[in-house]
Amino acid sequence: MKQTNEHTHRPVRLAFIILSLAFLLLLIADLLLGSVIVPLKQIFLAFFPSAETQDTFRTIVLDFRLPKAITAILTGAALSVSGLQMQTVFRNPLAGPFVLGISAGASLGVALFVLGFSSVVTFGVVTATGAWPLAMVAWLGAFLVMLLVLYVSTRVNDIMTILILGILFTSAVTAVVSILQYFSNESMLKAFIIWTMGSLGSVTNEQLSVMAPAIFLGIALAFLKIKDLNAFLLGENYARSLGVRIVRSRIFIFLSTSLLAGTITAFCGPIGFIGIAVPHICRVVFKTSNHLVLVPAVILTGGIVMLFSDIVSQLPGMQTTLPINSVTAIIGIPVIMWMIIKNKKFASVS
Amino acid sequence: MMKSGFNIELKNVSVGYEQTGGTPLEILKGINYDAAPGEMVALIGSNGIGKSTLLRTMVGFQKYFAGEVKVNGSELSEIGVKELARIMSFVSTENIRVANMTVFDLVAFGRFPYTNWMGKLTETDRHKVDEAIDKVGLQGFKNRQIMQVSDGERQRAMIARAVAQDTPVIILDEPTAFLDVSNKYEIFHLLQVLAKERGKTIVLSTHDLNIALREVDKLWIVTDEGIFQGAPEDAVLGGWLNKLFKNENIGFDLQEGEYFFKKEFKAKVKVEGEGLPLIWTLRALNRVGYQIVVKAEPDFHVLVNDNLWTLKSRNETNTFQSIYQLLASLE
Repeated sequence: MKQTNEHTHRPVRLAFIILSLAFLLLLIADLLLGSVIVPLKQIFLAFFPSAETQDTFRTIVLDFRLPKAITAILTGAALSVSGLQMQTVFRNPLAGPFVLGISAGASLGVALFVLGFSSVVTFGVVTATGAWPLAMVAWLGAFLVMLLVLYVSTRVNDIMTILILGILFTSAVTAVVSILQYFSNESMLKAFIIWTMGSLGSVTNEQLSVMAPAIFLGIALAFLKIKDLNAFLLGENYARSLGVRIVRSRIFIFLSTSLLAGTITAFCGPIGFIGIAVPHICRVVFKTSNHLVLVPAVILTGGIVMLFSDIVSQLPGMQTTLPINSVTAIIGIPVIMWMIIKNKKFASVS
Repeated sequence: MMKSGFNIELKNVSVGYEQTGGTPLEILKGINYDAAPGEMVALIGSNGIGKSTLLRTMVGFQKYFAGEVKVNGSELSEIGVKELARIMSFVSTENIRVANMTVFDLVAFGRFPYTNWMGKLTETDRHKVDEAIDKVGLQGFKNRQIMQVSDGERQRAMIARAVAQDTPVIILDEPTAFLDVSNKYEIFHLLQVLAKERGKTIVLSTHDLNIALREVDKLWIVTDEGIFQGAPEDAVLGGWLNKLFKNENIGFDLQEGEYFFKKEFKAKVKVEGEGLPLIWTLRALNRVGYQIVVKAEPDFHVLVNDNLWTLKSRNETNTFQSIYQLLASLE
């Protein structure tokens, strides 16, 4: 008995150690690299106000790179956890954080705000309001969709119906957003398109103080439901026969996913791909279906992938930042393709 | 270790589905059944008659619209989900395909109602899981991936999961569907052992009537003409097995205790011989549509002797090496 225990646990522990090291290295690299390369020593000095360090480096590290790195980590962790939850609850490998229509709700909020105003006010008025209103309307949109999802999930018993409703809802919202785009002027349209490309850099320290607690709450909810998530692997019938209160559990999980995906979308835009891909990567690396391992694993791996994407999006020497949404797709999709070809079982989640 | 047995009583129960804004769609009504501890009960009935609906109602997945379902005297609808998980376990035909899950992991789900919020297994839990795996004969398969074992092994693992759940009642919806004959027998036998050794109440639905008739303690039969419960032999004598199928061509052979497909006979044949070769020659001739006669005047004779088959008709006599050759010449 003990032997099988060690046999299955050793690779898991090893994988966690390796990933943690990679995480730390990437975090340091993310603070180091950018349009200006900060010397390694200055990064450490920046954290100590009394230490003799150049103010420019301190400003770069503390006011720009650190918030961005933290945002990257939170984004990766939040989207990966919500993606994992959705893949398990819907027993569908293609499910992701946005299947419930959360990002569609956020997009609609932003579209109504950015594009809807274009007929009434000039562009300068919208941009002058800064990033807060944008995040707030996106959050509001996501929050309203979440209420809708929770209401539907207490009424509709069949999980597949919820999935289909989510997909239909997303399509309907996309159509409304298209209409808004059609009637808006060029500069408004550009502002909206830029929002859809995603951005980690626009999150300020102030916003982080709202974003981080929301993400921590969402992740805490996910941890509380680890056991139920495992039971959902066997399908809802078996989960119920094992003593899971299906509807209640589903509400908790949807609440967690909405909070995670909604918050990230509100502050950073709709960042795709990560939420679907990271859980798959973790299943292959950790060779387990147990959420007690998978939830911490996707948090760590999600952070790593987003840190790496962030480094790529602003490689040294480049003065501009690439859209993070494109970077996550371009670096991630080949990885997933390679994994599919190498490991055929990968495609089956549950 | 062994919990005291739980009995199940269904009194005048109606099951079916709720319809939006109307009266519920009742699939079965007026159901009166009971099952005692240590008893293995098979629910049989034709496809679509509502066996699964009844079982799903008994495990609390759906509501019942009338009557009472009593589990050891308490009304089922008043038992909470968590409490029920320690009273009843459930196995269905649903094929569980989860990547990266071992047989041990799957069986360990049975300990779910007993573990903490993280689902951490204690030594006792691990012991019970191992015991359940041994019970179903899956020793050595413990660390195999469930995607890499056969359907029969996976189904046995699902039953082991129910055993590990350590409930006094086990309800199984067609546990032997999609399995080969030897696996079917093994699973019936295993369930019978669980019922007898541990005093569990086991209710299962099945289409494997021939096995059920030989293995179970009680039959619950649902037909369009009414319901029956009792020993399999009572069901046979009461003519219930003939009522199971609306198809006129299917009959139940009261002597053999088996179903057969009624055919138009091509000719009459009289067969002489002894032992197993005789029995199987009779079956073969019957299968291809010849009526076996004893006293009536036959169209031809077959003599079975020392693994040689002699066919005598009015004009000629032929000898064959096998039943296959005999049948071929008759065509």
